[in-house]
Amino acid sequence: MPDLVVQVAAGWATLLLFGGGLLLLRARDTLHRVLALDVLVAIVIMLLTTLSYVRDVSYYIDAALALALLALTSTLVAARYVTRGGPF
Amino acid sequence: MVFDIAGAVLLALGLLLATIGLYGMLRIPDIFHQLHPAGLVTGPAVILVLLAAVFTGSAEIITSAALVILFVLITSPLSTHAIAQAARRRPRQSRDRSS
Repeated sequence: MPDLVVQVAAGWATLLLFGGGLLLLRARDTLHRVLALDVLVAIVIMLLTTLSYVRDVSYYIDAALALALLALTSTLVAARYVTRGGPF
Repeated sequence: MVFDIAGAVLLALGLLLATIGLYGMLRIPDIFHQLHPAGLVTGPAVILVLLAAVFTGSAEIITSAALVILFVLITSPLSTHAIAQAARRRPRQSRDRSS
């Protein structure tokens, strides 16, 4: 892919990160914050992927894979925490 | 040339979906309605951006991206379902406060 397209995509993903931060700041409730963090992780995965296209190396996507795994765990535990008042 | 255009279209489509989903999440106050645009961002937008890896032509990037796509296909519905279930089952007074 051309360099310009990939760099514009990386910049766009960075702007989306600011939107996710705004979403996290505007959350009024624990569950809204959990959802905002889930969306923020998705945006960071997109940002790491576009960064890997810009630099033309693969290990940023591996970091995105580890981040997706951690995000699943944290979302499940936080949702259970909201329901039962404790992680277990 | 065709590869370049296809990759750019996939990237733009994925980022556009993420933008629309974020805008929807900022506009909608209720958690159950917010889950719909959130599922758009965490599922199809991420997958479209990762599918653009096919058009980079690098085998390492394509392999890692395929792994992440497989993983996102499993985890995105799981986390959305967990949040929806928690919103339905949480104690009554906190649900009233949020709506």
